[in-house]
Amino acid sequence: MAENENSFMLCEECQVNEACYTISVMMGGQVTQRHLCADCMAKMNMSIATGNVKHLLSAILTAITGAEAPAADEPREDVICERCQTTLSQFTKSGRLGCPACYKAFQEQLTPMLQQIHGRVQHAGRKPLNTEAAQRQRFRHEELMRQMEQAVAVEDFETAAMLRDQLRALAEKEGED
Amino acid sequence: MRHGIVLSSRVRLARNYEDIPFDAAQRPEYAAMCVNRTTTALKSAKLGEGFDLLRLREMSEVSRTAMAESRLISRDLLRTPDTAAVLIRVDDALTIMMNEDDHLRIQAIRPELDLTGAAQACFQVDDALSRQAVFAFDEQLGYLTACPTNTGTGMRASLLMHLPMLTRGKQMGDVGQLVAKVGLNIRGVYGEGSEALGNIYQISNQVTLGRTEQELISAVTAVGVQLCDMETALRDKAMKDGRVALEDVVFRAWGTLLHARLMPLNEFYQHWSNIRLGAALGLLKLPLTLADALLDQVQDAHLRVYADEPLEGVQLDECRATRIRELIRLGGE
Repeated sequence: MAENENSFMLCEECQVNEACYTISVMMGGQVTQRHLCADCMAKMNMSIATGNVKHLLSAILTAITGAEAPAADEPREDVICERCQTTLSQFTKSGRLGCPACYKAFQEQLTPMLQQIHGRVQHAGRKPLNTEAAQRQRFRHEELMRQMEQAVAVEDFETAAMLRDQLRALAEKEGED
Repeated sequence: MRHGIVLSSRVRLARNYEDIPFDAAQRPEYAAMCVNRTTTALKSAKLGEGFDLLRLREMSEVSRTAMAESRLISRDLLRTPDTAAVLIRVDDALTIMMNEDDHLRIQAIRPELDLTGAAQACFQVDDALSRQAVFAFDEQLGYLTACPTNTGTGMRASLLMHLPMLTRGKQMGDVGQLVAKVGLNIRGVYGEGSEALGNIYQISNQVTLGRTEQELISAVTAVGVQLCDMETALRDKAMKDGRVALEDVVFRAWGTLLHARLMPLNEFYQHWSNIRLGAALGLLKLPLTLADALLDQVQDAHLRVYADEPLEGVQLDECRATRIRELIRLGGE
């Protein structure tokens, strides 16, 4: 965020005041800029301060996705998380991801955002203490998922349904525990 | 002197289960899974003792709001009362909120300046749970959370501070800049927008990714200590140069709180700030713990629980005035 050197530019947020701040977002080697007035910048800072980041995230994401928005008559393909079916535009709107897999699915858009928010994108700190038991359970879940996907791929829906029931039972057992 | 300025230290960790969508709070089947899994894991880790499981839907609205007023649970948890639950160990204000923005919010509060103590309490729960269950974690990005602002450590360390002299000296603007420079955030705890009723502020880490928990705690503690020193210098100066004027402010507030028959909450904060300053400076024989307890006890939901009636408007103000006198009487002079 640097002082804008341009002579005069309207704030892109309110379209009323003079923009005196520029937010730069790096994505895929390209820089997208957003120009804001002091009031809107303050609102954005306030959004961070109060933990209400939806507004901020929307604004940043609009800058990112808006920059590559195609012409209106050209249908635009949304990025989708295969695991939970959350789309990039849903995330852009809500500021919330759908599941852990969204981090991979939207990696291209998320990395510059995380860089913007935190200044760094390499975790330092604690790690979970996964036990073998926990890992075994995860592997079992993943194995069942993999088998089910394979069955669907070869159109063996009977096996797929059976595996789906096993997955459900696994989840239910956990729910009852 | 620091204990006269830092009311409490709080650490909270955001955690999510790897195989459950983040929005479990909106989906009863997943929400139940989060609650059961957490409760079971805590028991298996032999850490379950002393924890009570409270489901928000089984509590009255007023008693769960009172819990939020005491900061034992977050205001955000109140938004999904049908699915939200909390495991709570009242003795040391340790809570595990379930089905908030993230599956879990592990939170510990310690009196005065003790972020390390609060963090250790959280880490103990975190380790116990992560031995039993698999949290969403990535080697590069750390703990994965519903909102990218919590990604990484998932940790928010915060101090609740009473800064009346810095506020009076119009230095909070400078303080805000100082705090922002080192990647922290400061805001008023009570009141709307930029208000800081009672001159109570919360400072906390803004970033969560790329720094260790220890680094974040040290940063918040260092700034907290610096603010304590700045506030103390102003308090000392006021005691030296204008003691009578300071005493006048303190004792007027004391008199009002002891004798008023109707006490609106906004007015209370103003008097509270003055009597707490007086207590911290030894001008009033009022234990700081009692002053701090008052802050929770006179909130609307606390009063409604206490009176066991759905008080409104002026009834609340009357009950508040009565409750203040009663608590002060109970706590000695």
